[in-house]
Amino acid sequence: MSFTRMMEGNEAAAWGAKLARADVIPAYPITPQTELISNIASMIADGKMKAEYIKVEGEHTAMAAAIGASVTGARVFTGSSSQGILYMEEPFWMPPGMRLPIGMCIVNRSVAPLGTLRPDHMDSMLQRDTGWIQLYCENSQEVMDTIVMGYRIGEDRRVYLPVATCYDGYFVSATATPTTVPDQAEVDDFLPPYRHEWYSLMPDDFRMHGHETNMAKARNEVQQAQETAKAVIEEVEKDWRRRFGRYYDGMVEEYSCGDADAVLMTMGSMTGTARDVVDKMREKGKRIGLIKLRCFRPFPREELRRIARKYKAIGVVDRNTSLGSAGGGIVATDLARALYDVNERPVIADFHVGLGGTDVTMNQLEYMAKRTLRAAKVGRFREAVDWVELHDLGPVM
Amino acid sequence: MSVDKRFDEYYDRVHLQGGTTCCPGCGGPLLWRMILDAVGPNTVVYGDGPCAMCAIRNIKLPNFSIHFSFASDGATGIVAGLRAKGREDITVVSSAGDGSIGDISLGKVSAAAERNENMIQICVDNEAYMNTGIQKSGLTPFGAWTTTTPRGKDAMKKDVPMIIAAHKPPYIATASVAYPADLKAKLKKAKEIRGFKYIHTVIPCPTGWRFDPAKAVEVTRLGVDTWVWPLYEIEAGVLRVNSRSEQKPVKEYLDAQGRFRGMSPEQVDYLQGETDTRRRNLMEANGKRLFI
Amino acid sequence: MSSIVRSFRPEVDQSKCVKCGLCQTFCPEGTVMLSDAGVVFDYRFCKGCGVCANECRVKAISMVREEG
Repeated sequence: MSFTRMMEGNEAAAWGAKLARADVIPAYPITPQTELISNIASMIADGKMKAEYIKVEGEHTAMAAAIGASVTGARVFTGSSSQGILYMEEPFWMPPGMRLPIGMCIVNRSVAPLGTLRPDHMDSMLQRDTGWIQLYCENSQEVMDTIVMGYRIGEDRRVYLPVATCYDGYFVSATATPTTVPDQAEVDDFLPPYRHEWYSLMPDDFRMHGHETNMAKARNEVQQAQETAKAVIEEVEKDWRRRFGRYYDGMVEEYSCGDADAVLMTMGSMTGTARDVVDKMREKGKRIGLIKLRCFRPFPREELRRIARKYKAIGVVDRNTSLGSAGGGIVATDLARALYDVNERPVIADFHVGLGGTDVTMNQLEYMAKRTLRAAKVGRFREAVDWVELHDLGPVM
Repeated sequence: MSVDKRFDEYYDRVHLQGGTTCCPGCGGPLLWRMILDAVGPNTVVYGDGPCAMCAIRNIKLPNFSIHFSFASDGATGIVAGLRAKGREDITVVSSAGDGSIGDISLGKVSAAAERNENMIQICVDNEAYMNTGIQKSGLTPFGAWTTTTPRGKDAMKKDVPMIIAAHKPPYIATASVAYPADLKAKLKKAKEIRGFKYIHTVIPCPTGWRFDPAKAVEVTRLGVDTWVWPLYEIEAGVLRVNSRSEQKPVKEYLDAQGRFRGMSPEQVDYLQGETDTRRRNLMEANGKRLFI
Repeated sequence: MSSIVRSFRPEVDQSKCVKCGLCQTFCPEGTVMLSDAGVVFDYRFCKGCGVCANECRVKAISMVREEG
């Protein structure tokens, strides 16, 4: 039976793992992911969920156990944040390279130094080279839906890649929003049992993938899988819409972009605030729009090239830093590369904001929107790289 | 039947292809032939890392590994996966070297013991990081030359079997390829016990220990007979000493290997003293429950 | 599999052999077998380490320099 109630992101994620019928869940607690695993533990203890919950002693072990279980043929779910993601770095590279469709949540939290529990996107983005699929969610409903869809996407034999469902610590993980939990039987119909064609540890049927010895070929295979994933993501999301009535526009959503020359690009929870700011400014007659980037890996290069032609300026809101890099904003850098050889392309700015989990406020978004509108008019941004938090923008709103 | 065909059948029967890329005289393939004989074919092997991994490459059973910093943890996932698939009949043998279990993965093995994971954890101990060219590990013995302890190691060998025994798992044992009947009996026993079983084997490394490969088994036997590597088991917390009480002088063991050539007479005496104390303590505790 | 290069190969004097099987037990590679035709060696894979000769209690196996 489907039901709706207020649910925090971490509880919705636990429901996602339950609906997806995850078999093995090796996980280690870390703020702000903790309620995710304590919810799972409760659901298993109450008999609401049937899974092996392995209380591992550290995140390095969590991912290793995930790999072992996935090779054995179990559907695996895990989750972590920040320092925990860093601690599982060594095994983190294995699932995409081994083509194991593990599902995990990255409950976004910044990385030390400075030690903070609050969110930015450093922990997930620093994994951008590994080959994991990364989808970013705005609210509890999207988190739950994405976890289930993630298994359909990752376990597709054209893809066979692990999927990370990313959502901001506290702003999504600990904020309750109305969430509809679909009927289990309907989800079972959407998501068949896990069966990997390339792996088996059964004594009578031993299969192991990974006999390629040429690094270029091995890496290229994963790259091709990422490319293929784009179409599979669109397919799966449309199927979800057909069955459950919810759609997240696939990899990229354009909000209120109609006649706009200037758009902001956001990811994660700040998108909600950005929608409000865009609405307010539209009421005042400003032609500003919003692009929500839902899928970060695979980076939707083709779709963004198609969309970007319409705009004169894109203000990329980067809740991350890449210190010492060309631009500093990871998403802006990817976008710039994607658009570099498009003849008519917009000017781009990296706006750094929300670092270490400071609120992305309405007046900060308004500031970024105004800068972008101006850039659309004059053909360039005043500052191509703008550390918004270092400006005094008056009282916080 | 031709000799070649006989051997091909033999390799199938023992689940291990002859002709590994291990050094001549390496105890690794020898150990694996004994292990697989004891546990049988309904087995999954997890592990890699020690240069005895060249033997694992030749195993004819399902096997899988990550790296040496992943002792016991991938196997933990395999055990959970098999349980989820209703195949708990399959024996999981997790293997790692001394560098793994003694150093970089010690916490992992400790955690698997605490969780009482249903697996047999084997330590394939050749007493140094041999795969990367003979560097010291925590399980390198006192006085031994390695490339990172060229004047001989000044710390004692970590007593990993006792560290694991302190977790009170159902079964731990030390074993040696020089005493195959004892080794196989221990593995057969471990297979029948549910929970975390730990079996620590010291295997000869002619390349790293500096001796003629032909003496591989002889040197290993000396290690046991001098009580430098005593054989014992701890089942449900109760110690049983398997080694015979007769003890050869430690010097015989040290003289047989080039890696101990730099030891001074005082160091040899010290080691003899430590070995005697250990022997005395083990014999006194024989039959008793260890660890309060 | 790479080809095995060795300096010495084991050879057995069947008349001395007492068929104890220790050579088979202790051969690291599994390339020694006590068969109904006596002790045989798998020269495809034997590395010539000499453990079998060293363990044989009656010195029935000797290590002979490899030709060629």
